Order: sequence, then C-alpha cells, then structure tokens
Amino acid sequence: MKTSLKIIFSLSLLFILVAFQTSNVLCNSKELKEKAKSKLEAYKYDNSELTKIIYKNKETIKEIEVSLFVGEKYRFIFELEALPKQVEVQIYNKSKDAKNRKLLFSSKEIGLDKKEFDFEISKSRRVYVDYVIPPQETGSYSGCAVLMVGYK
Amino acid sequence: MNYKKIIIFSCLIIGTLVSCNNNSEHQNEHSSDSNQASDSIVPVIDSLLDTDELSYTLPSPLQIAYVFKKSGAPFIPSLLNDNQRIIQYNTSNYKRAVNFGIYSADLAYCIFNKKNQESKKYLKACQDMGTYLGLNQAFEKDDIAKRFDKYISNEDSLVKLVSNVQLKTDILLEQNKQKHITAIAFSGAWIESMYLAIEIYKKEKNNKVLASLLEQLSLSEVIVKALKKHEASEHEISELIKAIEKINGQFNSIASVKNIVEKEQEMDIDKMPLTDTEFKVIDETILSIRRNMTN
Repeated sequence: MKTSLKIIFSLSLLFILVAFQTSNVLCNSKELKEKAKSKLEAYKYDNSELTKIIYKNKETIKEIEVSLFVGEKYRFIFELEALPKQVEVQIYNKSKDAKNRKLLFSSKEIGLDKKEFDFEISKSRRVYVDYVIPPQETGSYSGCAVLMVGYK
Repeated sequence: MNYKKIIIFSCLIIGTLVSCNNNSEHQNEHSSDSNQASDSIVPVIDSLLDTDELSYTLPSPLQIAYVFKKSGAPFIPSLLNDNQRIIQYNTSNYKRAVNFGIYSADLAYCIFNKKNQESKKYLKACQDMGTYLGLNQAFEKDDIAKRFDKYISNEDSLVKLVSNVQLKTDILLEQNKQKHITAIAFSGAWIESMYLAIEIYKKEKNNKVLASLLEQLSLSEVIVKALKKHEASEHEISELIKAIEKINGQFNSIASVKNIVEKEQEMDIDKMPLTDTEFKVIDETILSIRRNMTN
C-alpha cells in the first residue's frame, strides 16, 4: 500500500515537472501557416501540417507521409522559425522503416540554420518528410515546424 | 506525510492538470460556437500526449478535381449531390463533416468546368455546412460570396480564392482541435470525386477518366491511416475506416495492381488495365458508401 502510494506521488510529481518543462510549446499555427502561404507564389495551396517537436535526450525522427499525384508539380514550404534548436529536414521516397530508401533532399544542403526554405518535386506519388530532432543533454526544449504543400 | 495527504495531493495535481486541459477544450468549443477562435497555443497536456511519430497529409478536394479535370471528363449536373439537403445533414459532426467534403468536391468539379451558377450554389452549400461545423470565419472574414462574384469569370482567381478558404478551414480546425473533421471531410470529398469518375466512365468509357479513378483509389491506404489516428474522436469513424479498407482491399485485388505490388514496381496508372468485373466490384462499393453518406 505504502509503496504504491509512493509510486503515485512520484508519477504525479514527474508529470508536473515534465509539464512545466515543456510549457514552452507555443505554436501560433495561423501565423506560421500564413507566413508559409506567402512563399507559395505561383503554386496553389493544397495542404499543410503543423508538427510538434520535442527535443529528447536521444535523436528522434518525426515523419510526415505526403500523398501526391504523379505528373503534378509541387512546392513544399518549410517554416521552422518556431523551433528553438536546429532540426534537419530530410525528404525520402520511402518511409523510415523501409529498406533502400533514397534521400531526395536534406536541409544540410542549404544550411541547417535556415528557418524557411522550399523544395520542388514532380513525378512522385508519395514522399516522406523526416524532421531529425537532435538529442539535448541539458534543458528541455520544444517547438513547432510547419510544412505547406502547393501545386500547379 | 501520511497516506491521506499523499492521495489528496496527487488527486489535486492530476485534477488541476486535467481541468486545465478540459478548460482549453471548452474554450475551443466556445470559440467554435461563436467563431472567435483564438490563435493556436498548443496546450501543455497536448504536447505531453504527442507521441505520434508519423503523420499524414492528404490532397485538397480542389487538387483532386484539378487532376480529374485533366482527364477530359465532361460536366454532368445530375451527378452532383442535391444542395437542398443541407439541413438534413445537420445531425452529427460526422454527417456535417462528410457532407462538407462532398459539397467541396462538387464545388471544385463545378469550378473546373466553368459552371458559374452551379459554383455559386455549391459555395453556398459549403458555407452553410461550414457554419454548422463552426467554420464561419473561414468564409465570412473575406466576404467570400462577394469576392466569388467578382472573380466568377476567372478560373484561376476562383481557385486561389477557394484554396484560401481551404487554408483558413485547416487552420480553424487545427486551432479548435478538430483535425478529425479534416480527415472525415477529405473522405467525403474523395468518395464524391470517385463517384463522379465512376459515373462518367460508365457513360463515356474514357480511359483517362478510368486512370484518374485508379489514381484516386491509390489514396485509400493513406486515408485509412489518417482516419485511424482519429478513430476515438467520432464513433462513426470506425465504420468509415472499415468501408475504406474494403475499397483498399478491392484496389489491391486488381490483377494489374497486385502484379506491380508483388514486383515492387512503381505504378504507371495509365497502363494499368481494369477488367469489367473489377470495375463493377469497386463501383458497387463506392455507390453504397456514397449512398450512406448522403442519405
């Protein structure tokens, strides 16, 4: 009885601590998406995804499966200004669980410090956007990333 | 500290956190009702529960119609869902969302066929269904009807205008924590687009229309995955998943699709044959699902 109560108490305390540590997740989706929309230019808005990023003590990957129509031209806009730490964006032809997947783009190519960038693609039915979240040994950080897809 | 104190303290902590979360949800409900959705501040609890490592994006109804238009499919007004039925769909969130999607697909079909009067009617249908879903802001803020009239003869401007409504709708649903509505509405739009393709193919026997249908069918797997993420949000979602899984099974049973999947090749939809029997099976399933959605 005494042990289980201690566990409940510890878990509650842990819950509070984690809650307060991650309380810096403040994502204004409207502002971020409107900013991304302005970068679509000649492309028409198709869809968008706001991804919550939490930095942990090991590297983690958050993946978005993006469905496309073959033969259409697409522009992906990335809006990363609501991220407190750099995150690498990678785009693959297959999901992270698949073998022999091909890297189509990495934000390392343009510099990880870039907060806004785009990527254009056609002739694909599906691509996978991976946010590679680096480990954080000290402190607790979180933020948001926006992917917007436009077509023409 | 004695046991009672520990229990009371633990309950207070959990209670406070849960009530914080509930409050934010009530606020969202309220903001949805009054169309005063504030900017999205992702709550603490939400981030704690955010363990999903995989998410999905789905094309907009406008883009599906844009791709369908390229197949050269003609405009057949009798195929559109009756825009006078709106009131009968105001019974549950699921019914509102799925028919919001169906009317969105009809609107896109009208726009890309330059049917101005029909476009206006279906914009109104979308707006009314949107109002039932608490999406007034997406339509009224820019006085959409007036702007629609202004650009009625310019397809590109109309598409941009409706795309903008789509973006606002997406933002509002995200802010109101109703992303499941996006997935349900997309399912409705997708079923409607395939229904249009099927009926037009039956009349025209145009292979490009058939290719467009197959292209749309290939989305079934990802729609199921997207819906599964929201299965607990509305009780009707489980049935919808089963229905779309059935379509996915039928698509994967098409001999040419099976062959490509087995060989791990890329699908070249234009060169994929579909037998009459395979078509009939899919036709019946989609008609039945659409009937359930619109009745």
